[in-house]
Parts: sequence; C-alpha cells; structure tokens
Amino acid sequence: MTSTLLRAGRVICPASGLDATADVLLADGRIAAISQRRGELTAAGAEVIDCDGLMVVPGLIDPHVHLREPGGEHKETIATGVAAAIAGGFTSVCCMPNTTPCLDSGPLVEFVRLRAREAGLARVFVAGAATVGRAGEQLAPMAAMKHAGAVAFTDDGDGIANAQVMVRVLQMTKAVGCPFMQHCQEPALTQGAAMNAGPLQAKLGLGAWPAIAEELMLERDVMLNRAVGARYHAQHLSCAGSAEIIRRARAAGQPVSGEASPHHLLLTDDACDDYNTMAKMNPPLRTAADVQALRQAVADGTIDVLATDHAPHSDAEKARDFAGAPFGIIGLEHALPLYREALVDSGAIAWPRLIALLTIQPARLLGLDAMGLGTLRVGAPGDVTVIDPEARWTVDPATGRSKSRNTPFAGRALRGRAVHVFVDGAAKSVPGSFRTS
Amino acid sequence: MARHLLQLEGLDAAALTALLDRAEAFLPIAQRTAPPSDALAGRLVANLFYEDSTRTRLSFETAAARLGARSLALQGAGSSSSKGESFLDTALNVEALGVDAIVVRSAIAGGAHLLARHVRCSVINAGDGRHEHPTQGLLDCLTVRRALGSIEGRTVAIVGDIANSRVARSAMHALTMLGATVRLVGPPTLLPRSLGSIVQHPERLSISHDLDAILGDLDVVMMLRVQLERAAGGGVSSDYRIQYGLTRDRANRLPPHCIVMHPGPVNRGVEVDDDVADDARRSQILGQVSNGVAIRMAVLQGCIGS
Repeated sequence: MTSTLLRAGRVICPASGLDATADVLLADGRIAAISQRRGELTAAGAEVIDCDGLMVVPGLIDPHVHLREPGGEHKETIATGVAAAIAGGFTSVCCMPNTTPCLDSGPLVEFVRLRAREAGLARVFVAGAATVGRAGEQLAPMAAMKHAGAVAFTDDGDGIANAQVMVRVLQMTKAVGCPFMQHCQEPALTQGAAMNAGPLQAKLGLGAWPAIAEELMLERDVMLNRAVGARYHAQHLSCAGSAEIIRRARAAGQPVSGEASPHHLLLTDDACDDYNTMAKMNPPLRTAADVQALRQAVADGTIDVLATDHAPHSDAEKARDFAGAPFGIIGLEHALPLYREALVDSGAIAWPRLIALLTIQPARLLGLDAMGLGTLRVGAPGDVTVIDPEARWTVDPATGRSKSRNTPFAGRALRGRAVHVFVDGAAKSVPGSFRTS
Repeated sequence: MARHLLQLEGLDAAALTALLDRAEAFLPIAQRTAPPSDALAGRLVANLFYEDSTRTRLSFETAAARLGARSLALQGAGSSSSKGESFLDTALNVEALGVDAIVVRSAIAGGAHLLARHVRCSVINAGDGRHEHPTQGLLDCLTVRRALGSIEGRTVAIVGDIANSRVARSAMHALTMLGATVRLVGPPTLLPRSLGSIVQHPERLSISHDLDAILGDLDVVMMLRVQLERAAGGGVSSDYRIQYGLTRDRANRLPPHCIVMHPGPVNRGVEVDDDVADDARRSQILGQVSNGVAIRMAVLQGCIGS
C-alpha cells in the first residue's frame, strides 16, 4: 500500500478545531499521522507532496447531486458524475433518487452503489425515495433501502404535498434513523411555474414561481415535525423567508437544517432575461435581497450545509424554449471557487467555516461522520482534498468532466481549485483535471 | 429596421414612430385606394401558426400580397411548450425551403426569440404565449394616433385579463414609450402588481382594480378578451361583466371623444356589450383590423425589404 506525505500545508479540520501548518501522512488507506513539527513525519517510500501555500482539508462532501443513472445516461452517468466530483475536490457525493426508474427499492440502491464502486473515484451515497415512485402517496421500503446503503430519504424533484403522507414519512425516517430531505415546493402554487415571480417574469410572460411556494411547505413541515422530531433537512433554500423559518425552528430546538447552493448564493432572477434557460432552476433564482439573506443565514449558522444540486442536462434539452427546458445546472466542478466568491470573498465566513460546511456538516447530516468521513482525525479514512486557494481559472463547460455543459457560469473567472484529491488514501485524478491557468 | 421583430419592449420612440409613419404611408394600399406595390416581389413569407388565429394570419397574408410577396401557411396542431424541440425543428425545415421571413405564433413565451437564435431568415413574432404580440401593439398605437391625432399625453385603459395578455404587454410598452399614460385595470387575480414596473417609464403606468373610478378620465379604453385557454378561468368569477365589462351604462360615462378598442375576437356580452362593440361613434374594432394590414406591410417591408 502506498503512502503519501502532504508536507507543510495549511491543514484545516473543523471537526477537531485544527487550523495550522502541518504535515499529513496517508498510509494504508487512512490518515496515519498529523504533525505540526516540521520534519517529524517521514515514511520510507512515501510520495511527498509539497503543500506550501495550499490547504489540506477533509475530502469535500456534496449531499445533493443528480447522477442521472439509470435512465438519463445521455445527461450523466455515475462514472462521469464521480469524475466531475473528483475534479471539483469532492470525495463523497449523495445522489438523489429521481432517476428512471427512481431509486425506491433496495436493489436499485445497490445498483447505484455497484456502479460507483466500478467507477472507483468518489464515494457515492444514495438518498432513496421516500415514497413509491416518488409519487407522494405510498411509503417506500426505507428500511430495505437503508440496508442496501441508503443514507437519507427524499422525493427530491417534488415536495411531499399530502400532509398525512408527510407525517408518515417523517415517522418512518426517524424510525430507520435517517434524515428526511425535503424539496420544498407547494405544487398548487407552482402550476406552470418557470421562474421567480416578479417584474422580469411578468415581462417575459412566464409562469410565476413565488417564494411563498417554498416557504409554505417548509413552514408546514416544521409544524408537522414538532410532534415527530425527525431529522429534517430542507434542500436548496432559495429565499429569505425560508432562511427565517429555519432560523426560528432551530432556535426552538428542532432537529432542522437547510442547505444552500452556489447559484442561489450568487445569481438573481435577472439571469433569466432573454429566456436564458441556463438560469432556469428549481427552486428558481430569486432577488438580490434573497441572495443577501441566504449569505447572512450561512454567516449566522442558520444554513450549515452547502450542496451543489448538480443537475446535468444535455445541450438539446437546454436549447428548448424556457418553459419547456428542464430545471438545473451542473455544479460539482465549479462549486468550490463559487462558494469562495459568495461566502469568503464577501466576508460572510472565513475559510475554516467554509470547509466545515463542505465536510463535517454534510457528514453529520448523512451520518457519514460515524465512518470518520468529514474529518482528518488519525485513523479516519484517507479522504483528503488539497486546495490551491489562489489558483485562477475560467469556467469552460466544454472541457469539464461532467457529460453535460449546462451552466450559467460559463466564462466566469474563478479563484480557488482542488489540486490533489485522495479517497481511501489513494490519489484520484481524471484526465485533464487539476489544470490551472 | 432590424432583421427581426420579436417584441416592442426596447424599441425607442423614434423606432416606433418610424414604423407607424411607414404604416400610415401604406394605408392607401391597405384600404385599396391605391394599387398594390411590388416592393416585396419574389419574397416568400412562411406563416407558422401553432395557435388558432383568424385575423392575424389573414392580416399577414394580406399584407404580404399587397406588397407582392407570396405566403406559405403552416397551421400546426401541437402548441404546448413541451413540443419545443419539434417547434424549432419545423422552423429550421421551413427556413431550409428558402423563405425570407417566418411569421410565428405559438403558446411558447420566447418562442419567436428561440427561432431567431437559430435561423438566418427574418423572424416576426405574431404572438408568443403571454409575452408579446408586437404587430398588435403597433396597430393599437396606429389606431389611437389616427382616431385621436396623437398618442402623447393620452390616457389609455387596458381592461381585463392582463396577466395572460400578450396584447396588453406589447401595447403598454409602446404606448408608454410614445408618451401615453396607461392604466391597467382588472381583477387582482389577473393583474399582478409586478406588471406595474415592466416598462421603461413606469411612472406612466398604473394599476387599478376599479374600472368605474377611472372611466371619466379616459381617451381610450382597450378591452381584452378573457382568455380561458390560458387558464384564466380560475381567476375569473361569474360576476366579471358586473365588475369589468364595458356595458352600455359604463360606455355612457366615458368622455364623448373616448374610443373603444378590442383586439378580437370579442366575447360579446362578457367584456363588451353588443351595442358598445357596434357603436360606430366609439368602436374602432374594425378600424384596428384594417390598420393591422398597414402595420404588417410596414413590418414586412422593414424586415425583408431591400
């Protein structure tokens, strides 16, 4: 088994409070040792990587990605999706169940895990469907899916609209010991909706998607969950009102959390002008005030998980008219510098907190901390990401690892990039990745 | 003039006035008091209509004929935006036939923009979902200008299902740009406040839910059709006529010079009473149709004329 010595990087492990110049030794697939005494760690035959000027952090974890397999292999496969993850510095991802067929049974969860092992790059965890067929009616076999490796449950892509079904799902996810992750979207308020309700939407004549459609379901869920106490997580928050609901629920001691995505932290619905389908998201891009409120919610700890909602779609699908084009953008390869821009450069949080939001926080959400993921503790799996925080590069969708190129950030100048990624102590790279310019 | 006409939003007063002037010059041909022109002889115009249309399609065909151009008509069956791909494919095929312009109507907001991004020939928007209907907006302006002598300083009420109306959007952009004051009137379910800020001069636009309160100040009242096909039904109650219909009683309270317009087809007895629609002193409804031919001549000439 090879060993690697990451020498003299800025080592940040929020779970253990470490933020210091140190050497990290990876051996036998694990974090073998960490030393702040220069030259203390040596290992015969170890590959030595000079990390001066770089950050050495726990492997990044993205709790919300769409890998599209099975059924959407023209958009992404598990193999291309994990290649994109590695290129972006993510050693673990949690994929959503809205595939075709959807991931609502043990064997389908096992299929995804098998494909991920074949790809051999990033770890893939599975969020199973909470209801059969993601139809929001009948409870899915969550215990069987957990047995097969599911770590969370969600009908992502749709919210569970029926309050009775919602209560049952909360009860069952609590019973099986997994978080429930809600896509907050009240369907009655989003019939034909295509973008944020507002002047631009009114001008373009597109269907209105009001913030209240998100807030209403979130508020209802918080109320329903008071009696249940399930681990409830709201996905991809888009608006100020949702952040406030999460803030109040957490202040009241409820086991509630929320996530934010790069696009909701950086872009407004102005990006939809001229019927730009690359800016078509679910939930939609909102206003500058919402962007500020989400950043503030990250700053004050209300939002404590970041997630890309990596959503690949083919060029042809995004070339449709705005109302007919699918929602979502790719995110894995560009997320780290976009988070930096939105949260660190803006002054909302410092790097160690950003690393926490990308490592130990999603690990805790998904229960991966029990495996030692999300930390650099000695003995933990050797999942490490080395970041060059000053690397400057430009988003070029054509050279990405994802099979799809749908991003509104094409041409954007970025700062910061993963330059080495280790999973189980083994260096992972994909052709063409880790170039800086 | 630009190669395409996709929307009136963004056209300045000079560009709008130039189009109205050009249309006015074409009026004698449109009204057959002057012989047809051969300005567009040899040109081929494809009319792609994915939604039902009587007057707009015939108006474009007539305008093309008056300028010596030929028209192809394709009336599509499908109209939903989920058919966006075949929509574009069809346009690409039509372009490959060698047409000079595609006149397109569909239920897809941004549908004409989508075609314009992919074809090299001219694209003229004949209505895209709830977004815009620019030639209708122009003919409405021409109708006001001809009936009242001016647009600037006039007060125009647009009444009805504003949310679902591409006619209202085009008219409000053009009328406010040309200096008119526009009052949008309708039930709150069909008139979101966000519409109040979509024009370049929002101070010339106001929103009201009370038609009776503003009748006495109007120079123009433009009634819209309640668009049941665009799911307005849920926002309309059975007392619509009582609140927002242009009844005989309301018409009597309009200033004597105030004109009545409607883009057609009229739901008689719903948004306009029969005798108001047919009142020759006020009603411009048929005048709008003949003005429309001149407008479309001007647009075709501007887009594909040499």
